[in-house]
Parts: sequence; C-alpha cells; structure tokens
Amino acid sequence: MNYPIWDLTFGGGLLIAVVAVTHVFVSHFAIGGGLFLVLTEKKAYREDDTALLAWLKRHTKFFVLVTVVFGAISGVGIWFTIGLIHPAGTSSLIHAYVWGWAIEWIFFFLEITAALLYLYGWNKLDRKTHLWLGWIYFIAAYLSMVIINGIITFMLTPGNWLKTYNFWQGFFNPTYFPSLLLRTAFALALAGIYALLTGTVQKDPELKGKIVKWSARWIIPAFIVIPFFAWWYIGNVPEIVWESARGKVPTATRYANYILVFSILTFLFSLATLIKPKKVPFVFSLLIFLTAYGTMGSFEFIREAIRKPYIIYDYMYANSIYKNQFPGDGGLSIQNIQQEGLLAVSKWTAHKEITNDNQLEAGEDIFLLQCQSCHTVDGYRGIRKVLVQNQWSQAGISRRISSLDKMFHAVMPPFAGSAAEREALAAYLAALAPLDPDAVETAETEISGEAVFEFHCSDCHEYAADDTLFTGMAKYDVAQISYLMTRLDSLDEEMPPFEGTDAERETLARWIAEQFK
Amino acid sequence: MGTETIIPALDPMPLPAPFWLFKLLLVLTFFLHIVVMNFMFGGGLIAAFSGLFRKKNESDQRLFKDIVPKIPSLLAATITLGIAPLLFVQVLYGQFFYTATIIMAWPWFLVLVLLMFAYYGFYIVALKQDKTSRGIGWVMLISIFFIFLVGFFYSSNFTLMESPATWSAKYFQDRSGWNLNGSESTLIPRFLHFLVASVAVGSFLIILTGLFRWKQEADYARFLIVRGGQWFMYATMTQFVVGIWFLISLPREAMLQFMGGNMLATISLLIGVVGGLAAIFIMSNGIRNDDPRTPAWWAMGITGVVVIFMAMMRDVLRTAYLSPYFKASELPVKTQLDVLILFLVLFVIGILVWALMIKRYFFTPSAKITE
Ligand code: HEC
Ligand code: HEC
Repeated sequence: MNYPIWDLTFGGGLLIAVVAVTHVFVSHFAIGGGLFLVLTEKKAYREDDTALLAWLKRHTKFFVLVTVVFGAISGVGIWFTIGLIHPAGTSSLIHAYVWGWAIEWIFFFLEITAALLYLYGWNKLDRKTHLWLGWIYFIAAYLSMVIINGIITFMLTPGNWLKTYNFWQGFFNPTYFPSLLLRTAFALALAGIYALLTGTVQKDPELKGKIVKWSARWIIPAFIVIPFFAWWYIGNVPEIVWESARGKVPTATRYANYILVFSILTFLFSLATLIKPKKVPFVFSLLIFLTAYGTMGSFEFIREAIRKPYIIYDYMYANSIYKNQFPGDGGLSIQNIQQEGLLAVSKWTAHKEITNDNQLEAGEDIFLLQCQSCHTVDGYRGIRKVLVQNQWSQAGISRRISSLDKMFHAVMPPFAGSAAEREALAAYLAALAPLDPDAVETAETEISGEAVFEFHCSDCHEYAADDTLFTGMAKYDVAQISYLMTRLDSLDEEMPPFEGTDAERETLARWIAEQFK
Repeated sequence: MGTETIIPALDPMPLPAPFWLFKLLLVLTFFLHIVVMNFMFGGGLIAAFSGLFRKKNESDQRLFKDIVPKIPSLLAATITLGIAPLLFVQVLYGQFFYTATIIMAWPWFLVLVLLMFAYYGFYIVALKQDKTSRGIGWVMLISIFFIFLVGFFYSSNFTLMESPATWSAKYFQDRSGWNLNGSESTLIPRFLHFLVASVAVGSFLIILTGLFRWKQEADYARFLIVRGGQWFMYATMTQFVVGIWFLISLPREAMLQFMGGNMLATISLLIGVVGGLAAIFIMSNGIRNDDPRTPAWWAMGITGVVVIFMAMMRDVLRTAYLSPYFKASELPVKTQLDVLILFLVLFVIGILVWALMIKRYFFTPSAKITE
C-alpha cells in the first residue's frame, strides 16, 4: 500500500520465521551462556580443576564464534528482513521505540566488547579481571534482553499504549514480566544445552561426566519452572487471543501441541543424560539441541500466530493497514480503504482502476497488496491448494472474501476495498484454480452431516450451541432448514451460498436439526 | 506515475526527540562506523595484498601475520557501530530507506549472507596458526571481496534511496527484488570514492601498528609506517581523480551546492582538497625520515578532520537530493523526554564502562607481565 511489496514467491512470512527462529535460538544462548561462563570459571577455580578450565577456554571460543558472529548478524538480519517485508510495521516500532533501540544498542556494544575481551583475556588477564569482564558481559547481555523483551511483548499486548502512545505503558505491558521470566529460564536452559554439545565430544570420561552433570543442572530446573512461567504468560494474553491456540486456529494450535511434545522430550532427554553422564554420546546432545530448537521455534510460531491478524495488536494489521482511522494515517485505515478503494489509496500498484480488460491483473495486485503478507500462491500458506481442494465458485470466493475476518477465529483482517475490487480479487483467485467438472460426482459417496458442516460452514461457524448458525436454525424443521440453505447468501450478506450437492444439503439439514436439542 | 505520488506517506508518529539531535547522532555514529569500517576493509585489503603478492619480502609477510588477527574484532566493531546510524536513518528517512531496500531486496538481504561468510573467513585466517600457506591469503582476499560487495550494495541502496524518480520503473519491471541501482550515473564514482578512501584510511591501521611497535623493534615498526604511508599516498592521489569524477557526475543542482551554493558543503570540499594535499605532502616527506612518527601522526590527524567534513558533506548531499520531496527538519516532534534522559545517562555510563574494560584489559599489571 504505502510501500512497494517484495514479491517473494516462497513467502515473506517463511523468510522471517527462518531468520527469527535461528536468531532467537542463538541470542538466548548468548544471554544464559554468559552466566554459564562465569559460574563455570568460578567453579573450576574453586575445585582447582585444570581440565574443566581448559575445556571452558575452548567453549568460550565456540561461544564467541556462535554468538558474536552468527548471533549479531542474524539479529541485524531480523531487522533487515522485517524492514523488507513489513516496512510500515518496522517504521512504527522504530518511531515508537527509537530510544529503546538506542539503549539496547549501548548494551549490545558493551556486550560485544566484553565477549571479545573475555575470549582474548583467557591467557592474558588475572582471574579477577577476567571474571569481572565475564560479569560485565552477562549483565550487558541480560539488559539488552530486558529492553528487547519490552518491544516484542508490546507487539502482542500493547496495553494502554493504544490510548496514550506512552513509551512506558507499551513497554511494561501485561505480558512483559511473564515473558521476561520465560525467556530468562529458556536462556539458562540453553546455556546447558549448548555446553552439552562441546562437552560430549571430550575424550576424558571424568571431564565429560562432570560437564554433563553440570549442564543438566542448568537445563532441568529451567524446564521445571518454564511451565509455570508459560502459564502466567498465557494468563496475561487476552482470553480471546489465546483461544486461537486452543483449537480455533489450526496453525497456532499445531504449534501449541508441538511445544508440549518438544519441551517434554527435551526435559526427559536431559534427565536421561544423568543415568550415565560419562557415556553420553555427541549425537544424544545433538538430539537435545534439536528438541530444544523445536521448543523455542514453536514458542515463536505461537506468538506470531496468535498475534495475527495484527503486527501490532489492535493498531496495525499484518498487511500494514491501520485498524482505526486517525489523523496522519495517510488514508491507510480499513474504514478509509473501504470507502475510497484499495487501488486508489495504494501508492505502489500498477493498476489504478479496474476495467473489463485488466480485472485479473488488478486482482493480482490486490492479492499482492492485501493477502501476500500472510499467503502466497503456491508457497508458504499457498492459496491455490486451498482453492483446488474446496472447489468454491467465484461467487463463493467473493462472499468468503467479505467475511475473511469471520473465518478461523478472526485470524485475518477484514477485506479492505470496494465491491469491484473484491470481485477482481475473486476473479483472480477463481482463475488460479478452475473448477473441476468431476468434483461433484466424487462427492456423492457416503457423507455425514458433521463432515458437510466441517467442509462448508466451519470456516466461519463454530460447533457451539450459541453460534448463530444453530440459534438461527433452531426454530425451523428439517424441510425449512433445507430450504433456507438454498438461500444462505440472502440470510446474511457476508455468507457464501451453499455449494454442496442436494444430497449433502439434505444430510446437513437433518444433522443441524438434531444438534443441541 | 508521478514521483511524488509514489513516495510513501510519513509515519504518523512524531519524532521522539528534536530533529537536530537525530541528525547529530546520525552523522556522529556514521563517522565512527566509517572509520572502523575503513580500518577493517582497507587494512584487511592491504594485509591480503602483502601476504599474497609480496612473498619475497619477509617484512610484508610479517605485516600480514600481525594485521589479520585484528580484522575480526574490527568487523565486529564495524557492524556494531553501523547499527546506530542505520537506526537513525530509518527514523529520519524511513519512507525513502525502506522503499529502496525493497526495490533491491535480494542484494540487500544478501548483505547478511556475505557478512556472515566474510566474518567466518576472517576468523579462519585469524585463528590459523600457520599463516604462510597460500590458501590462507586467498581466504583473506575472498572475504575482503565479500565486504567489497557489501559496500557496493550499500552504495546502491543509499543512492537509490535518494533518487525516487527512478523507483517506479525499477519496481514495476521486477517486483521480486532483483534490482541494483546500475542506472545511477553517480553510483560507480561514488562507490569508488568510498573504496579508495577506505584504502587510504585503512593504511592507518598499518601505521598505528607500527607506531605502537616503535619501542620494541624500531626497524620493523618503521617498515610498517612506511608501507602504510605509501598506500596512503597513492590512494589519496587516486582520490583526486575519483573525487573529481564523482563531483562532475552529480546532477547540476547538487554539484552547485559544493561550488558556493551551500556554505558548509563548499567549505567541506575545500577542507577535503587542501587537507588531502597537505596530508600527502607531510606523509611523503615524513616517510623519508629515520623517525617518521610525528609526520605520520600529523597526516592521520588531518585526514581524520577531512573524514569528519566528508561525513557532513555526505549529509548535505542527501538533503539536497531529497529537498524536492521532503525536509526531515520539518517533521513533527514530540520529545519522549524521560526516555531520552535515560538514554543519555546510560550512554555516558556505557562509555565509562567501556573505557574501564579497555583500560583493565590493556593496562592491568598482569596484562603487562605476559606481554
Ligand atoms: C494476517 C495474515 C493474513 C492475511 C493478511 C490474510 N490471510 Fe488468509 N489466512 C491466514 C491464516 C493464518 C489462515 C489459515 C488459518 C490456519 O490454517 O491456521 C488463512 C486462511 C485463508 C483461507 C482459507 C483456507 C482454508 O483452509 O479454508 C482463505 C481462502 C484465505 N485465507 C484467503 C485470504 C485472502 C483472499 C486474503 C487477502 C484479502 C487473506 N487471506 C489475507 C492469514 C491471513
Ligand atoms: C465465509 C463465512 C461463512 C460461511 C462459510 C458460512 N457462514 Fe453462515 N454466516 C456467516 C456470517 C458472517 C453470518 C452473520 C452472523 C454472524 O456474524 O455469525 C452467518 C449467519 C448464519 C446464520 C444465521 C442467519 C440469521 O440471520 O439468523 C445461519 C443459519 C448460517 N449462517 C448458516 C450457515 C450454514 C448452514 C453454513 C454452511 C453451509 C454457513 N452458514 C457457512 C458467514 C458464513
């Protein structure tokens, strides 16, 4: 709209996810690992363990090569990537939080310097000065998370900021503290998980056993407290938002299931290392590493998924449209676009008007502007697959577009555009997946009312006694319901017509009449 | 499609501090970034050259060995110092900046990949015990080449961001982000200007290494200063050709800024020319002395001043380029005073802690013993 859109065929969302998840997995290690370094160094001095100390020096090199190089570049990488894919959202975050970023940068600067000096200082400094550098490193790294956490949680739960635009009210938002503790626990666990990687390749069984036991002491307690912090976090996410991960939105729910599995596995595997600490093979530590990666990755995916349709909750949608109209919004609010038309308001579109000749191209433009921040044609969350599967007519697609924000627990923004634009988009989408003439016949097999409901109605309706579908039909008998279904689109202007066969309609009508009696 | 209509609307949020503060921080942090970048790139390039193509000269081989371990930390500093100006440029010029990056999205994204490779390449060279193998020299040179590409992509992006008139043709021809700014006539001279400056300033890394070695081994230290000095002189002489090319490639309006149109720009250019000549003169005389230390300091000091003015000149140029469309100085301001104060306080504390770390690292007694 305001900005050009990078037409990335495999999906911008996927690119962000890949960059972000890898970064997060390293950056949390950069924090917990800092504390791990100093405490392990102290331990080695206390126990006068030269072997442990020698390993720790090698581990420090590994630590620096992973965090200072990969961690720093991938961190800048997230920023580059969201700027390319969500320029308007990035601009908002920068404008609201420049001073937050600038403060974070101070800590980052200290962190990088301290990490390098700590590494090079191993053979140069006395113990006290060296440990002091380690502490500076850890404190600076932790403080950088204290800042970033405020901005990340702000995006999901901006709280009072929406009314006051006050820095601190957005910063210390409802999920700030639970998220900080959750991330802290995870950072500590990761310190142990990464230490297992370099620890399990040690030849000396005594040393190896010691490192494994010591690492487990970082992972296991962290994984015991994580569920409590997670529960606290969830308690502070608005109920309606969290429901998305409880079955209402497939993606969010899937990752909510994954995170359970992955975190339990990480926990159990870590416990298992204690059975024979001296004999833990490297591959096993790699396995723990991967399940932990899965845990962290799922967390980030859930957070991203439940925030949908927004990039900044209740302020800006993922496709850069503002939720509400306000002075200075550049005409980019839903309301204004619905009045003026998307193509008219957009700066970066090849077609400004829809004519008979350019309907499909204009439709493609509209898809790019309004849907591509979350969908692609054939790649990530590809739309063609869905259309081929569902065999919706163009009219059906058009109706679905008008009620996008009713589908999947409001995971999508409402469509913003004129009626002609909606038709153009529907025409473009319909052309992506021409109807298959045989489809109707294959549907003639054994059908159940529930299946028909799932297929034709559940995008927008819930199987619940208070859903409008069931309340609306409650007073009618089977024949009436069946009749009403032939004219669904006149019941509500946002509802598509029923597109199943007559047999399916009968089955569904009978089924509806029996529910919630 | 009119250029004006295509420039994205301003972000509705006001600037959270006065314009001049952002401008100051932008130019200041950019200056620091560019100096360290020059040390890393120019110094690394000179080292790679000495290592690969001066096999016969033992001192050149030593130069390679002594310089390459410094490059990874300098790259770390370059990136870290680069984050700040990148932040402030997005605050002041976001609508231009983001648009340009999106038009050339893939090269811009590749910056990250190239940086990562170069970074690990530098570390491979720095951590390798035996630095005489031919392969190591090549790893160094290839990593430097990656940085060269990063620089080229940056130049492309920052010229593209200043020429909105060319945006729509590029974008609508290819929306998938495979664009550069090849059509821009100033791109090559501008990039060369930065490149040559990088070598000139990068030579200071060699010279400084020599200056700090003077007390221990005067001969080798003198070699470093002379070698660095030679690179400095030849690079700066080349700069006169490249600089003139850059100047005349500028659009008339912008060029006139440096010819009296804008006081600051004109003075900056003058200082650049006079300072450059003076530094060459001092350096060329100095390296013939037995003790070239004082002239080397002078030449570096003068060049430092020139770089400050060049950073300002660059800013004047940007303002001139964008003036038909937008004046950042007129952006609405609503200062977040409490956060700003917190930033300034932490900034001062940060500098103190940083200095303390450096002091303790280099100057604690234990550190001196092992040296
Ligand atoms: C905020 C991101 C977002 C935007 C913007 C968005 N969608 Fe979606 N859409 C989703 C998600 C998420 C799902 C699927 C829910 C899931 O599987 O978790 C979805 C599902 C769909 C489906 C249904 C798929 C099915 O399985 O039935 C259609 C059709 C669809 N979107 C079309 C569109 C169109 C057309 C646009 C543009 C006008 C659009 N979407 C914009 C996020 C988005
Ligand atoms: C694309 C979204 C969508 C789909 C698919 C959909 N509906 Fe609806 N339906 C709506 C909307 C929007 C309403 C308006 C009320 C509301 O907000 O729930 C509605 C309302 C209704 C009502 C109540 C009407 C009234 O005024 O009392 C009935 C009955 C109904 N739908 C039946 C169905 C049946 C049966 C199916 C499946 C064959 C279905 N709908 C599929 C969007 C949809």
